[in-house]
Amino acid sequence: MAGVGPRLSLVRLGREGRDRRDLLVLALVVVGFGAGFGKALGRARPSLFRPRLAVEARDEPPRFETRFVTTRPNTLAHAACLVELGDGRIRAFWYTGSREGAPDVEVHTAVYAPERGVWSAEKTVASPESTRAALRRYVRKVGNPTAIRTDDGTLWLFYVTVSVGGWGGGSITAVASRDDGETWSEARRLISSPLFDLSTLVRGEPILYADGTIGLPVYQSLVSSVPELLRVDGTGAVVDRQRLSEDGHSPQPVVLVRSATKALVLLRNSGPGRPQRVGRTATRDAGRTWAPISRLPLLNPDAALSGVVLSDGRILVALNDVEVERDALSLVVSADGGATWRTVRRLEDQVAARDLPVDDARYDRTVEALARATDSRVADGRDFVLSSRRFMCWEPRCHFEFSYPSLIQTRGGVFHLVYTWNRAFIKHVAFNAAWLDREAGGDGRRR
Amino acid sequence: MMGPALSAAALAALLLSLPGVALLRRARPALLLAVALGVALVPLGGLPAAAYARGAVGDLSVTTMLLLLHSLLRPVLGWESVGKASRITLQVLAATGGLLLYPSALAPGPTDPYRIGFGNPWFLAALLLLATGALVLRLHFVASSIALAVLVWALGGYESRNLWDYLLDPLLAVWGTVALLVWSQKAIVQATRR
Repeated sequence: MAGVGPRLSLVRLGREGRDRRDLLVLALVVVGFGAGFGKALGRARPSLFRPRLAVEARDEPPRFETRFVTTRPNTLAHAACLVELGDGRIRAFWYTGSREGAPDVEVHTAVYAPERGVWSAEKTVASPESTRAALRRYVRKVGNPTAIRTDDGTLWLFYVTVSVGGWGGGSITAVASRDDGETWSEARRLISSPLFDLSTLVRGEPILYADGTIGLPVYQSLVSSVPELLRVDGTGAVVDRQRLSEDGHSPQPVVLVRSATKALVLLRNSGPGRPQRVGRTATRDAGRTWAPISRLPLLNPDAALSGVVLSDGRILVALNDVEVERDALSLVVSADGGATWRTVRRLEDQVAARDLPVDDARYDRTVEALARATDSRVADGRDFVLSSRRFMCWEPRCHFEFSYPSLIQTRGGVFHLVYTWNRAFIKHVAFNAAWLDREAGGDGRRR
Repeated sequence: MMGPALSAAALAALLLSLPGVALLRRARPALLLAVALGVALVPLGGLPAAAYARGAVGDLSVTTMLLLLHSLLRPVLGWESVGKASRITLQVLAATGGLLLYPSALAPGPTDPYRIGFGNPWFLAALLLLATGALVLRLHFVASSIALAVLVWALGGYESRNLWDYLLDPLLAVWGTVALLVWSQKAIVQATRR
């Protein structure tokens, strides 16, 4: 039949309407494409961003508090994120287990009650076993979580799952809760890549669009680290995917919505150039177009960062502002859209310890002192020492790591920051706008 | 449920196409049912075999499923073969689609062809043109594959909302590419002999 010309075949199609196969296939084409175009008409349209609204009470006295979210010793705890619940409590998610990527790693959660200043006991939200059963497919390990609460009160948790290989083979799984995390829906896989749905990872906080859909910042990790923004609808399905930058060394995008049409994206730098600096792209048309990548003056040792946009337009970011390692963590603020930055407070700083002679006893004393300074409930610092030694000591010395910050601002204007503490614990820092203004000084405020 | 069911069917089809088993033509429907149920329901280390396959390769495209099921059921139900012209056309389309889609969608660069799969009407129009062309040329299997993939996408058959995932998968792209390479090599050898 291949030899029959198109014209001849058309004539035959008209004349020999009796050919059942032609008619059947024609009917299938009409029905299939009729339904297809119908669906295309209802596809997700571009939408404006929905900026977060916070009311910052500046007449309060400055407040700054620290504590540990987790206290289980000898256990990996990493990549925490935060979300404010409907009643003003804060829920944290992180992953924990014997070591990163181990089959026993689970996503855990705990709730912080601001009025009492305490974290609840941690509970399991997701594990490889529970995800396997829900997805009806093999899942070997779980990783980075991130969460958002949508306007209809649904709490969404997105987390990385890996079936084959390392993190490069990762995919994203979603679960939803209608009661702020007490119970969860069955897990759903977010299909976001054409290659066996591999190679999409998540870390940064999601954003909201005006039409109620979720913007989920993700990055590919198989061939290179390309930052992308997924659009997720109310059923948890990916309905659009947008590339944020052509740069292949920019994982873990952090999208900071500044208005209904403007957003700034900060990018972790995994490129070969030294010193590495935070990448930046931005949109002025609600994400229809993104500016070419440029570099901010902020140092970035290939480490995750997090940030929020204040009601007065300032941008507050938590990051490891050092050239190498992750032994320092700072809050920095910009009042000019990210062009210039001022350090608000170096929250952790063990840079000087790199150059000191190897001294295990001094390391132990430092860890214990840091733990006690963080949380007054730490009576015996030995668990913190042993846990830090387990994850942070390799030849020729022991290290410090304060990494993977997650920063949010509540509707009441209070800032909450969590981050990995020596790979073994999650530390929580809370402060208010009055403290920020005092620490940032005049240069950090919009005039 | 469509994903797990299709994974089981695909795995069953692959198992039944093994040498020896493939000769048992008359027993194929019963064998297919038994093997599909087995790989879908019988747990091996906590999960059915189909779930392991699905974990590794995800859901296979509608086109791949049609090819697998057609090759499996054709001898029993007396269907006509796909036809050489349809097969070569499918191989060319799969290879070209794979070449267009995978490198650009996975590597850094200005274009992301995967995005047009989220309901871009121009992409659908191009596919309609392809399907109509195939119909005119009486490449029924090609036209049916494209139309059915679009229909299943419109009905939300898989977890994915991206039309590419219904049309193409990496295994299909590899099949098309390898077939074209083999075909090219044969053509070169023949031309050299002349």
